[in-house]
Amino acid sequence: MIAQLVVRNLFHRKLRTLISVLVVGVEVALVVVMVGLTTGMLQETAKRIEGIGADIMLQPPSSSVFLAFSSAPMPIRIRDRLRTIGGVRAVAPVLLQSSTSGGLDVVYGIEPESFRAISGGFVLHEGRELRDGYEVLVDDWYAAARKLHAGDVLRLFDHDFTVVGVVEHGKGARLFVPIRTLQQMFGAVDKASLFFIKCTRAEQTPQVMEELRTLFPRYEIRPLKDLLSMMTTSNLPGLDAFNRSMIALAVVIGFLVILLSMYTTILERTREIGVLKSLGASKAYIARIFLAESALLCAAGILVGVGFSYLTQAALTSLFPTLSVQITPAWLLRAAAIAFGAGLAGAAYPTWLASRRDPIQALAYE
Amino acid sequence: MSSQPSRWQAVEFGDRIRRLSWRGSFGRKGLEPILKTENLWKIYRSSKVEVPALQGVNFEVNPGEFVAVMGPSGCGKSTLLYVMGGLTQPTRGRVLVDGNDLATLSDAERTRLRRHKIGFVFQRFNLLPTLTARGNIAIAQHIHGNGFDPHRFAMITRMLGLTERLHHRPAELSGGEQQRVALARAVIHEPKLLLADEPTGNLDTRNSEMVLGLLRQLNRELGQTIVMITHNPEAAAYASRVVHMRDGVIVDGIPAD
Repeated sequence: MIAQLVVRNLFHRKLRTLISVLVVGVEVALVVVMVGLTTGMLQETAKRIEGIGADIMLQPPSSSVFLAFSSAPMPIRIRDRLRTIGGVRAVAPVLLQSSTSGGLDVVYGIEPESFRAISGGFVLHEGRELRDGYEVLVDDWYAAARKLHAGDVLRLFDHDFTVVGVVEHGKGARLFVPIRTLQQMFGAVDKASLFFIKCTRAEQTPQVMEELRTLFPRYEIRPLKDLLSMMTTSNLPGLDAFNRSMIALAVVIGFLVILLSMYTTILERTREIGVLKSLGASKAYIARIFLAESALLCAAGILVGVGFSYLTQAALTSLFPTLSVQITPAWLLRAAAIAFGAGLAGAAYPTWLASRRDPIQALAYE
Repeated sequence: MSSQPSRWQAVEFGDRIRRLSWRGSFGRKGLEPILKTENLWKIYRSSKVEVPALQGVNFEVNPGEFVAVMGPSGCGKSTLLYVMGGLTQPTRGRVLVDGNDLATLSDAERTRLRRHKIGFVFQRFNLLPTLTARGNIAIAQHIHGNGFDPHRFAMITRMLGLTERLHHRPAELSGGEQQRVALARAVIHEPKLLLADEPTGNLDTRNSEMVLGLLRQLNRELGQTIVMITHNPEAAAYASRVVHMRDGVIVDGIPAD
């Protein structure tokens, strides 16, 4: 009977129900997409770096695992020392620069030969490999997003670069330029931001890392197979706080919307509450009606939110192909729990008010 | 010794003639009243102003009676009904419903008493607009807690002529039909006492007669005890006893037939 009353009430006030459901849906989508976007981007970056095929990454002391924050303080001649370590098959220096033209992109300055020795070479979709000068290789996602083809000009760091080839994604960055060009442009001649190291055999990685730690005691030496687990929002300063702020904002939105919706519902239905009380409905019975109504609003909002999340994911990846939005069942469940909790908390006060309404005043309410 | 005041104790309340008169007339000496008020006061307080709505009402209703309480607007009729129905507490005095003193009951206990022993009919019907006629009646059974009783439901809706209108919402029903649904809702759980507050106040003559006729039918055929508030003498004429109120007190009590 309560279910029938609740469902009919929700359908009776269609516009308010629709707005409440949509806002709860936006709340869910906000949480899911925001977290999905940050983790998706990080995980996708980690996978790309793993895809290079190196075993170890050597960085200067106190460097972040997030390469966009790297600088270039290491002399490139360190490579010569690295090559002498037993079990090291290849070493590739990389100079990193972040480009903000049309988004934040990490540009790898590479030596084509040493990078090929580590990664096994690029899979070319069109054009040719890098040689020298103001040349750039772009991966297929970046090319699709910017509608670039071999022979086009791409403006980077206030210079015109010629796109010499489009390569398969998954080799670290989306943009590759000759390391010498980048060194000259940024006054970092003979410097590198990091070294990718390939071992003769993968099993030798721990032994090589031990040796590296002895030779470069304060340097950051990371096995690339662990990179995925290190690239989390909690390891990126401020990102976790940002995510939490967005979730808190979503909770406040959900809380206020349900609070307002249920408060107006209860005002509108004051006379009904009086009638139910005159029929002998207990406080708990009346509370059940309004809590069930809020729960149903939240449940419908959560379903809509799941749909919104996937729609937003599709829209974002279609508009910005280089973006990665990772929607996981775990975060869908968390977002649902957050929306449900916020909704029920928002309904608590109006429900309490309703259950305590004086029947006489309620019956006299106009 | 019985906790209920005897007829001779009632004399002390100063309404000897009235009580002896109607008890004699209905020949129900010895019956325990289903409803009894003793020196009932209700004072509304608004900031520093006190408005006494009831000023020592003594009143009894025996099982099976149909009593009309008449009086001008503002005389305290509706307040009396609400106090008798446990919707509000008296300022002083006692209200006994089927032996339960409402003044000593908690809010939850009064709610339980309403659920099981009292039915209300209001002037403005007060149906739940989102439910059908059937839903409006069924919710009273649901609140009562004994589940849906199809036999009782069929009997009441047939008696009130609602069988063909059960799937309609209040907005699709005439005033008379809405009040009949409200009547069905009020008696579906077999309350010991039906309290009706101006049940024909919003109805035209034809529908008023129909509703009043049904109240009388419920009283005569099912033995339903009814207290009806009205200011209309024609409506009061349907009752077996009429009580007049003025300025918060009952001024007489005369048998109607």
